Amino acid sequence: MTDHQWQELAVPYALSALAQEERAEFEAHLAECATCRAEVQAFREVSGLLVHAAPAAVPPPGLRERILRDARRVRPIGARRGPILPWLAAAAALVLALGAGYAYWSVRVAQTALLTALNSTRARLDSASQLVAAILDSTVGTADLAATGKPPSMRVFWNRARNVVVVAAFELPPAPTGRTYQLWAIKKGQAPVSLGTFNTLPGGRAVVTLRMPAGFKPDLSAVTEEPAGGSRQPTQQPFLVGSWQGGG
Amino acid sequence: MASQANGLALADRALVERMAGCDERALGELYDRHGGPVYSLALAIVGERADAEEVVADSFGQAWRTAEQFDPARGSVTAWLATITRTRALDLVRARGRRARALTRAALGNSEGLATPIASAGEAPDRGVERQEARRQVARSLAELSEPQRRVIELAYFGGLTQAEIAAELQEPLGTVKTRIRAGMEKLRGSLVPLLSRGGS
Repeated sequence: MTDHQWQELAVPYALSALAQEERAEFEAHLAECATCRAEVQAFREVSGLLVHAAPAAVPPPGLRERILRDARRVRPIGARRGPILPWLAAAAALVLALGAGYAYWSVRVAQTALLTALNSTRARLDSASQLVAAILDSTVGTADLAATGKPPSMRVFWNRARNVVVVAAFELPPAPTGRTYQLWAIKKGQAPVSLGTFNTLPGGRAVVTLRMPAGFKPDLSAVTEEPAGGSRQPTQQPFLVGSWQGGG
Repeated sequence: MASQANGLALADRALVERMAGCDERALGELYDRHGGPVYSLALAIVGERADAEEVVADSFGQAWRTAEQFDPARGSVTAWLATITRTRALDLVRARGRRARALTRAALGNSEGLATPIASAGEAPDRGVERQEARRQVARSLAELSEPQRRVIELAYFGGLTQAEIAAELQEPLGTVKTRIRAGMEKLRGSLVPLLSRGGS
């Protein structure tokens, strides 16, 4: 094909009006031809303006709030929030860049498989991003729970804005069969409030998200071992205790 | 006008930049600026209000999640959003095993092209001055095309058809369809210059 013939494909390509084979060939060419890439970009802009050719319709009133509500549940991928877990952001950016770049420029024979993989990656990233976002908020307080400075230990993050508590346990062997660990929030002079039960993996690690009752402002947190399902009130002395710091 | 288009494009870019930094208000502002056109586009393709709402919610969700990957050197925010929305709308139509609204209209022999709905656009309670101006310009540019040119572009853009499918739909030679699409889009490119911001600059 001559340069001229390639260039003629820029218009239908920008409109997504090429058949699959032709599109794949053209995308292979695009990877090497800056002139055609510029043509495609120019016609994408023209195509973008055609949104104004659609009959004017007014979106339903609740749509804006719905979009914002959805967004609150999912953080942007690789959101520039801070240096914590840079590998996660980098991996997310890489996966997405590869995904997007591939989908954009490369042959789309494997598109379905790719999309499935991308979606499942996206779901994993979304949940990882949510976890990261939950512990990066300025309203987050922490409590280091330990016995006597020796393992096991736990660090607990409390996102006051969202009433979310993220528990990270270290070197804590899994509870015996029929037993579970239970996290308590304690306000001095009041009965402990259960934040929920959790267990660790055989390696002694756990990362669990629990809920803090809205409006409750505990001074301490503690962990006890309880019968499976948890108890209303602690049945044992806590083996890990720590006070809440920061994030007020 | 060109500088105005550039100014709007810059403001859009700043919003997407803030979205990448996790700023939900920026998403709200992006919706305020583009929600109307994007919803209109989705509705023009899927034909059902509930489906259009899904498409728009998903599209802004995708824009939110992938704001960090938006590359201004590759095009404007308008084009980016339009591509996301169009892709999702056409996917939804196909997933439902339906035909896009534009095709249904074409099949009914309805001669109502792109230009006709625009003529009545003024009736919609649409207060955005910039958007009104953009609609007028696009309508004017489309009106300068021949009816067959408009028709093939509509079938591609709102119907999601390939050139070969358009040829089959209209029972016209493929070469004719290709020429019409190209000529029509070239003409639009020329007449829409005032609305086209220089991407990447």
